[in-house]
Amino acid sequence: MNFEPIEPANLANTQDFDLCNWEQLENLVESLIEQDRQDKIKTKRSSPEELARAIAKILPAAIEREIQSNPEAIAKAIAPEIALSIRKQIALDEEAIPQTLGPEMGKAIKAQIESEKDAMVDALYPVIGSTIAKYMVEVVQDINHKIESTLSPEGFKRKFRAKMQGVSEAELIFKESIGYHVRAIFLIAKDSGLVIQEIQIAGEKHLDADMLAGMLTAIRSFANDCIVSDSELDSIDYGDWQIPIEVAGYCYLAVIVAGEPPKEFITKIRRVLGEIVLKYDRAIRDFDGNLATVPVGIESKLQQLIEENQKKRRKSASPLLLWLAIAILIIILVPWGMNKHRTQRIQQIEQQTAIELDAVPELSVYRLDPEIDKDRLIITGRVPSREHRDRAEQIVRPIAEQNNLKLNNQILTVDVPVDPSLATGEIQRLTNLFNRQPGVEIETTYRDKILTVTGHTLNNYTRQITQAFSQIPGVERVIFKLDDRLPKIPQRIYFDSGSTKVKTDSMDKIAAIAKILKQYPAIHLKLTAHSDGIGAVAFNQRLGRKRCNKVKQALSARGIDSSRLMDSCDSLSLTQEDNDSAARSERYVSFEPFIPLNQ
Amino acid sequence: MSTITQKICLLGDFNVGKTSLVRRFIEDKFSDRYLSTVGVKVSRKSVNLTTEDVRQVNFLIWDLEGNTKFKSITPSYLKGASGSIVVADLTRTETIENLNLHLQLFSEVNPQSKIIVALNKADLIPPEKLAKLVENFRSQSSEAVVEIYTTSAKTGEYVNEMFQLMAQLLIANN
Repeated sequence: MNFEPIEPANLANTQDFDLCNWEQLENLVESLIEQDRQDKIKTKRSSPEELARAIAKILPAAIEREIQSNPEAIAKAIAPEIALSIRKQIALDEEAIPQTLGPEMGKAIKAQIESEKDAMVDALYPVIGSTIAKYMVEVVQDINHKIESTLSPEGFKRKFRAKMQGVSEAELIFKESIGYHVRAIFLIAKDSGLVIQEIQIAGEKHLDADMLAGMLTAIRSFANDCIVSDSELDSIDYGDWQIPIEVAGYCYLAVIVAGEPPKEFITKIRRVLGEIVLKYDRAIRDFDGNLATVPVGIESKLQQLIEENQKKRRKSASPLLLWLAIAILIIILVPWGMNKHRTQRIQQIEQQTAIELDAVPELSVYRLDPEIDKDRLIITGRVPSREHRDRAEQIVRPIAEQNNLKLNNQILTVDVPVDPSLATGEIQRLTNLFNRQPGVEIETTYRDKILTVTGHTLNNYTRQITQAFSQIPGVERVIFKLDDRLPKIPQRIYFDSGSTKVKTDSMDKIAAIAKILKQYPAIHLKLTAHSDGIGAVAFNQRLGRKRCNKVKQALSARGIDSSRLMDSCDSLSLTQEDNDSAARSERYVSFEPFIPLNQ
Repeated sequence: MSTITQKICLLGDFNVGKTSLVRRFIEDKFSDRYLSTVGVKVSRKSVNLTTEDVRQVNFLIWDLEGNTKFKSITPSYLKGASGSIVVADLTRTETIENLNLHLQLFSEVNPQSKIIVALNKADLIPPEKLAKLVENFRSQSSEAVVEIYTTSAKTGEYVNEMFQLMAQLLIANN
């Protein structure tokens, strides 16, 4: 029995009827009702199986049609059952759903990461976060252990290594904590990639040696042929793992290492492989894939690499070594401490000495270095004079005595080259200064560091002058040619009675006086006219003045500047002491040298 | 029971079914999807042989990428192989013609090694035509070839037999 669906063509006819034609409409409804009734009867008669078969034919088409016309309704109808359907399907065939969805998962995750990265991070955090946390806890525990064993020989060794390598100790500890350990060792035939000998650590996940060796060999071959010929692939890194590869003869050694193996380990791998090749070269060359033919010695050689690594992991600080280290430390530290204290004390004394020397103005300009050597306080440096040297000694001696040190004065007195213009200026200044003093008339000549002071100093200035000139820097020697008395001029120029004429025989005296004046250019002369007292006073005064003038003229004629000749001839001087002498001898002009007051 | 491990190589033009043969042999699976092998894929399978005593051959199968005369493979991949299965596609005659190139390449590197030829995709060829193709090839194949099989990775035809023979050859050689 076949289920007859209502043909859409039958329904299509309804579009053509005239709404006003009620009779026609009634007929159509009746026919439809009748058909439906008949269909119901038919349906009641059919078995569920037949019905299912009948519906099955139209179901895909019907669903497809409905999806096209009303997708939302279909989605709404199916949605609640999707989860259940998947569960049912999983119950029926466990693999089906994973196999269907599996290949799309990667893309789905990628798309999700691209669109909502944060959400993915949040979702994965509990898993990844705890994995990392677990790993870090192990690392931190290891670091703690290493810090606790700071005083162990390894601790010192690490400190030393950190200094040598210029990295922080923390970095080294971290590296060591992450550490390295050998997971497996494979001795592989170079060409075929067959495993000659394998060693895997118990407790680690077992690696498929044949596959690994095959792929490593393939990678090696590829690298050798396609990347660089005549050179070797010496290491493969992936994540935290490293596979150092050492090639020799007909084989190569691949060591699977977690973490970063130190250089020493690589050297050791090289050495072990060298020994193996040297001893078992023939057996390796003839290896035909039969493990029974592999010499036993190879395994024991390879075992060395594992044993050392494991020993290192287990090794802990031995108390004996710790005490030994402490003892060595004490032996080193105690003398070092004492020495350090002594050095500090020495520095203090040296510093105090330097400060006190610097506090003295005349010494502060010179560099004086105090230094303590054993029980001596040595002062070195250079000063320009012995006075400076003695002054320094005078300051340092109490400090030395206070600290039970012997003073060793090694200060040198040296000639400080003085600017000649400074010395000349200072000499000139002093010369002018002294010449302003009453009774001082000096001249200075400075040549070749020798100063010559000539002149007259009355009124006891001599001592002051010698002191002052001696202290001028740059003056090595001073020659003083100073007179504290003026030259005597005892000559008298006599005149005839009533005459003002300088007599010819007096000319020698004039010449002698002129000579003295020329010898002492700073000396002036005071002329005094003496009268015999005969005649009127006014007459004698006039006569005296005239006689003075005549003498002046005579001296001027001999080249003496008249300004150096001062007369007091206006007041007539009676020569008392010569009262008893001949009258002639009372008519004369006398001379008295003097030093004018400089302005 | 003694075990020997042996390296064998699969050679041939691209898309002749090398990887599919290996997959059929190892996993007993087949897929129509073509995945080009890049470089080399190494697989492993042990075969037990019952001769005078029980012996095991541990195959290390180097499934090499398909090569042509324009694109050579890395010769180092062939080194140290005890045997080789050189594959051609029965539906593409040029791949059968190229077999000799592959045989030559392999023999140069490993003169003493055993070679089996697999004429693959036999399921796509009518049986009467198949025999003719095999005979054609047999007449001109080199002496190095020990046996020729018409295989199908899809149906599994002669795949295991071929590897069994290879195992026997290697044991005998050993």
